[in-house]
Amino acid sequence: MARSLKKGPYIDYRLDNKVQVMNESGKKSVIKTWSRRSMISPDFVGHTFAVHNGNKFIPVYVTENMVGHKLGEFSPTRNFRGHIAKKDKGKK
Amino acid sequence: MAATEYFELGTLSKPHGIKGAFHVYLDVDDPEEYEDLDAVFLQLGNEMVPYFITDLQIRSNLNLMSLEGIETVDAAKELVGVKLFLPVSMLPKLKDNQFYYHEIVGYQVVDKNHGTLGTVKEVYSTGAQDVLVMTYQSKEVLIPLMDEIIPKVDKKNKLIHSILPDGLLEVYLDDAN
Repeated sequence: MARSLKKGPYIDYRLDNKVQVMNESGKKSVIKTWSRRSMISPDFVGHTFAVHNGNKFIPVYVTENMVGHKLGEFSPTRNFRGHIAKKDKGKK
Repeated sequence: MAATEYFELGTLSKPHGIKGAFHVYLDVDDPEEYEDLDAVFLQLGNEMVPYFITDLQIRSNLNLMSLEGIETVDAAKELVGVKLFLPVSMLPKLKDNQFYYHEIVGYQVVDKNHGTLGTVKEVYSTGAQDVLVMTYQSKEVLIPLMDEIIPKVDKKNKLIHSILPDGLLEVYLDDAN
């Protein structure tokens, strides 16, 4: 069941406060958080969060298209890293 | 040829029609670059088996491939899910400001504020974005591979220029984690 619209999106209040303080001061340092369930609000755009995945912190640089998703979606708890081959999509 | 000398091109996703053709998912930036492909390697167990391509159609919403020797839908069904590979030497040449992820392994990371940091160990995807893994002071440090944080890669001198956000290194150097 979806969350009631009346309540608005869930954002951990300590996390929200940290972002507000940084936005007011214009600073952009990394914010460490364990709150994977917090929704990404438009205020988060341009900030880097270190989101814990149960093992370590994964850095997440928030862009506009991440708004509305949860922070935990960008910090996978399982990683397949041992591929035998190279990927072509890593162009920059 | 060792397995590490191949790169993953894509996957045979499902059979198409009754003559052994496949829907192919190509995990590349520009599938059109592979329109004239003559052969691919299929990963069958631990072996890389070469197959000639008899027909390859690259479309905007669908890629179709027929392989020599696969002429029935039953034969095609057996290969569904098999990954396609090509030798690394066949990767298309990139422009100066572009790079493949496997190329930057071993490059030195130089930060605008912190100076020389460490070398790149690997690059992997966390879903929405890719992350560069660097060893710094014998700790593993992850850096998001975004233009805002990694503005330049100097292939000539094997350097990665970064502008790390404040506190990123401390996240990983703090022993409490």
